[in-house]
Amino acid sequence: MLKIQEIKELIKLIDESTIDEFKYELDESKITIKKAKPEIVQAAPAVQSVQPVQPVQAAPAPKSETKEIAAQDESAEAKQESNLHKIESPMVGTFYAASNPDSEPFVKAGSKVDEKSVVCIVEAMKLFNEIEAEIKGEIVEVLVEDGQLVEYGQPLFLVKPE
Amino acid sequence: MSKTKNHILKLLFENRNDYLSGQKISDEIGCSRTAVWKHIKELENEGYSIASVHKRGYKLIDAPDQLSEARIRAGLETERLGHRLVCKDELPSTQKEAQHLAEDGAEEGTVVLAEEQTSGRGRLGRQWHSPKGAGIWMSLIIRPDIQINKAPQFTLLTAAAVVKAVKRATGLDCEIKWPNDILYKGKKFVGILTECQAEAADVKAIIIGIGINVNTDIEDFPDELKDIATSLRIEAGKTFDRAEIIQAILKEIESLYKMYMDEGFHFIKLLWESYAISLGKKIYARKTNGDVIYGLAQGIDDEGVLLLRDDDGHIHKIYSADIELSSQ
Repeated sequence: MLKIQEIKELIKLIDESTIDEFKYELDESKITIKKAKPEIVQAAPAVQSVQPVQPVQAAPAPKSETKEIAAQDESAEAKQESNLHKIESPMVGTFYAASNPDSEPFVKAGSKVDEKSVVCIVEAMKLFNEIEAEIKGEIVEVLVEDGQLVEYGQPLFLVKPE
Repeated sequence: MSKTKNHILKLLFENRNDYLSGQKISDEIGCSRTAVWKHIKELENEGYSIASVHKRGYKLIDAPDQLSEARIRAGLETERLGHRLVCKDELPSTQKEAQHLAEDGAEEGTVVLAEEQTSGRGRLGRQWHSPKGAGIWMSLIIRPDIQINKAPQFTLLTAAAVVKAVKRATGLDCEIKWPNDILYKGKKFVGILTECQAEAADVKAIIIGIGINVNTDIEDFPDELKDIATSLRIEAGKTFDRAEIIQAILKEIESLYKMYMDEGFHFIKLLWESYAISLGKKIYARKTNGDVIYGLAQGIDDEGVLLLRDDDGHIHKIYSADIELSSQ
């Protein structure tokens, strides 16, 4: 499996080369990079996808072009997210951002955390579990709302590791 | 209280109906008879009434209504729970104290008790009214080897154990409102707050906080609680020995806990259901986000989650909510 960094490098190399189309297959993952007419490069957004990646159509229609640009943005986002650590819920229950309704939330975007920092409480059947960050870094995004039901393994926070 | 004095007190409690000779006490503890006499005098100064008869020995006549380590230990039938007792006159919250002790590695079965909590708390920082000497304000540390997703079942286990213990110690039959409020004739007198310490998915400690209104008078309750809260004394018309109730609770939790670890949740579930007041009735479930679901409380699933069937026949799985019984 290629790493995001390796795909980035590939894109860069192909971009600078005279190659028009590049395909790579290993086990269940596939990647297709194709240069379109107005020099658009696209990486498959979901690298691990089992579905074959749709090759980019070199259609000159403006509609199609915007689509391609959107796809490009998405892949950039996907790449960025993959560098972030997700704090996941260890159990099904209600997510509480603060220790009580009148308090400030434990953390918000921009908060610095270390391994032992409490980031939220997840409660089920009146059992309250304080969730610790278990990583040192900065909270980039809070993915759920106070009082929301969260599933087992559901990402709760994105953390930029330090 | 010094260890020796505590030991003497425990012997006196265990032999409440008989005289215990000074010689026997000194043999048992390994100190001189003069030392025994000194400790007896100190206990008298602390409010214990002890008869002392020449050639017969000492006998405990009356003890102050105080939760001492010696008092709880005398007659405690557990194998592990309550073998370390931390008894304080006053604490901000027994739960906070137990949390700290658990973090510092306190062994399973450690119990924290306070005569008075100055900032006793319920869930989500809600205040818990805990006046001096009137109730049982305790927190128990257990360390089951389980995954965190199973931990919520301990709130149901605790509720079932407390119902059994109250029945044993007072004769009163009480009921459980999902998941762990304990009521007598519809009024609440026990609150349970369970908190978990975990590392990733592994439970390191569960801290079970139990608050019981035992000898509280109706006048002791703040106005807003008078219609919805009660105490054992209000209901039974007599005063109860708190130490006996604590002993019964520790015993019942220990036996259900053992059963849970040996055989899983199944039996606990049956027991819980037999005490549940809300099952088979129409209820309102007020969720944390303010949504209210109305329907029939059909039962709990194998995890302890409440199953609520609304009027369209749709089943809602309720993980957290405040339950109100519908009058219809």
